[in-house]
Amino acid sequence: MSQENQKLLIDVGSTYFKISTLDSIEQHFRDFNKDILDDLMNKCGDTVSRFQKDDIYICSSANGGLSALIIGVTNSFSLKYATNIAFNSGINIIDTILYQNIEDYSVPSDIIDVVIIVGGVNSHGGLFSGALYSYLSQLNYSNIVFVGSEQDAPAISKEIEKVVVLPNIIDDRLHIVEQHLKEYLTNLYQQDIEGKEDIKHLYSITANQIFSTPYIVNRALPYISQKFPVADPFILLDIGGATTDIHYSKDLVEDNLTTENEYDRLVFKRLGVYKSRQSLILAAQGNEFVYELLTHLKVTEKIFIDQNEKATRILMQLAIFLVLCKTSHYGQAYVNLKLLSVNSIVFTGGITKVLAIEDIETIIAFFYRKILSSGHRPVAILDSNYDIWTLGAKV
Amino acid sequence: MKVITGVVGNDIHVVANRLIDLSLRARGYEVFNLGVNTHLEEFFDAAVETGAEVLMISSLNGEAEGWGREVKLLKSRYRTLDDLLMMIGGNLVVGSGRTEDIVARYKNYGFDIVCHQVDLNTGLDMLAELLQERGLQ
Ligand code: B12
Repeated sequence: MSQENQKLLIDVGSTYFKISTLDSIEQHFRDFNKDILDDLMNKCGDTVSRFQKDDIYICSSANGGLSALIIGVTNSFSLKYATNIAFNSGINIIDTILYQNIEDYSVPSDIIDVVIIVGGVNSHGGLFSGALYSYLSQLNYSNIVFVGSEQDAPAISKEIEKVVVLPNIIDDRLHIVEQHLKEYLTNLYQQDIEGKEDIKHLYSITANQIFSTPYIVNRALPYISQKFPVADPFILLDIGGATTDIHYSKDLVEDNLTTENEYDRLVFKRLGVYKSRQSLILAAQGNEFVYELLTHLKVTEKIFIDQNEKATRILMQLAIFLVLCKTSHYGQAYVNLKLLSVNSIVFTGGITKVLAIEDIETIIAFFYRKILSSGHRPVAILDSNYDIWTLGAKV
Repeated sequence: MKVITGVVGNDIHVVANRLIDLSLRARGYEVFNLGVNTHLEEFFDAAVETGAEVLMISSLNGEAEGWGREVKLLKSRYRTLDDLLMMIGGNLVVGSGRTEDIVARYKNYGFDIVCHQVDLNTGLDMLAELLQERGLQ
């Protein structure tokens, strides 16, 4: 047996964890009264103890990512570029602020994990002043980073305590420079995962770095055809307990920023079927097509109150519909995907254990007919054995 | 002196845009070229990000006629662009029209220099003259 075959892969989610060896895959609901490590050892101690620390690989999606607030000077450049980089680093954007109107924005009451300040090419300066500092003095945040004009960096460093200054994300031709901010945000996300007490304990069984699950999934995408007959271009939906992630190839975006990675990712934070069930229902009730969809599925809105397997199944179907809506022209989200060009839709995550392929196909058909007025039907592919995650963990 | 340039709207005629880029650089301007297919908001946003003093818009297929009407309103929403010198050139109408009428119309839209079917070098001379007049060069 080759070394690669002897790996044990563990994924810790918000709702359940799964462990995979060469020949088996197990999934267990988490017991939230227990520490993750205890819970894990309790349920799969035998399997875990068969492996060396070097051969155990763990990833976690348990915390749903970091929150960010972005302050920039224009919509077309600074805010757009920072938003793109933040999304690609797995960050959830709470709000974007157009600096010239900063006095008109209300100050969020939640603690923001990271504030990003951006604006100006390096040959321009003096873009920020007192209004920025007085806004920040009212804001609660854990980290703050400046990625604007290098001429403004000294003043920013002087006025804002603990600000991290990185190279400008806008170059001299007004193009995007991703690398430094992306690295910073990815590291923050990573530190956040590792900083969780629960996760720290897991280092007693692994000698490898613990990564975030979306990072692992994204890493698998270029190799996906090794496992599935996927026709390009495709999108991948990871519908989980607390969040829904959508990964898509760059060709599906109209407004193409030239960045180095092929696949982007977008997180819908409160769109999960277990932990964020209530907000999923709220989102569904706010969608004008959902009642028609419920009728199509032969259920009534009573399903929102039910707490049985059937209700979970319907909610998962709604989650698919809502995500597709959000990324279409109808949704007005950050991206507008060319859904009519999509040839395959790959599904992964908890959803694959609950829905059958027909349950998914009917939603896809309904979405394309109702929202896009089209007979186009991308092929649905179900990753029911967590092959994508296994692939990403092995890369 | 910084100049933003580009072709407005859904216009894809690129040749003049390349020439403008080269000619401006040859005359010593720092150029930010947004290329073809550029929307008005992007022009103004680029001026904010760069602190450019001049905005030089091209229109070859005549689309500017429509966009021109939105210039004043859009520009008024920006707090830092009052001193931006605005220039436009190319084929500024669809079909034909009297140059005096066309120039008057675009001046009314808020442009300082209007070059309908004016050769590029003549246009750039006009810019240099105005900059000098305003004590900017
Ligand atoms: C080549 C060309 C195309 C090519 C463009 C290829 C490309 N990617 O660039 C293709 C075939 C794709 C094309 C398409 C179309 N075209 Co065409 N095209 C031309 C053509 C033949 C030459 C343009 C050119 O490159 N000239 C060379 C450059 C150097 O000259 P210039 O563009 O005139 O620019 C000079 C001046 O205008 C000036 N200038 C330009 N901008 C500025 C700005 C300032 C500030 C200043 C001072 C000066 C200045 O400086 C330049 C050098 O002196 C012209 C006709 C012509 N002979 O001009 C039509 C022309 C521009 N096209 C025209 C039209 C209508 C179209 C289409 C709508 C056709 C259609 N029905 O599909 C489409 C529109 C596509 C779109 N979305 O924009 C019309 C526009 C008419 C109008 N405004 O009333 C023209 C004038 C032809 C005509 N006589 O009808 N076109």
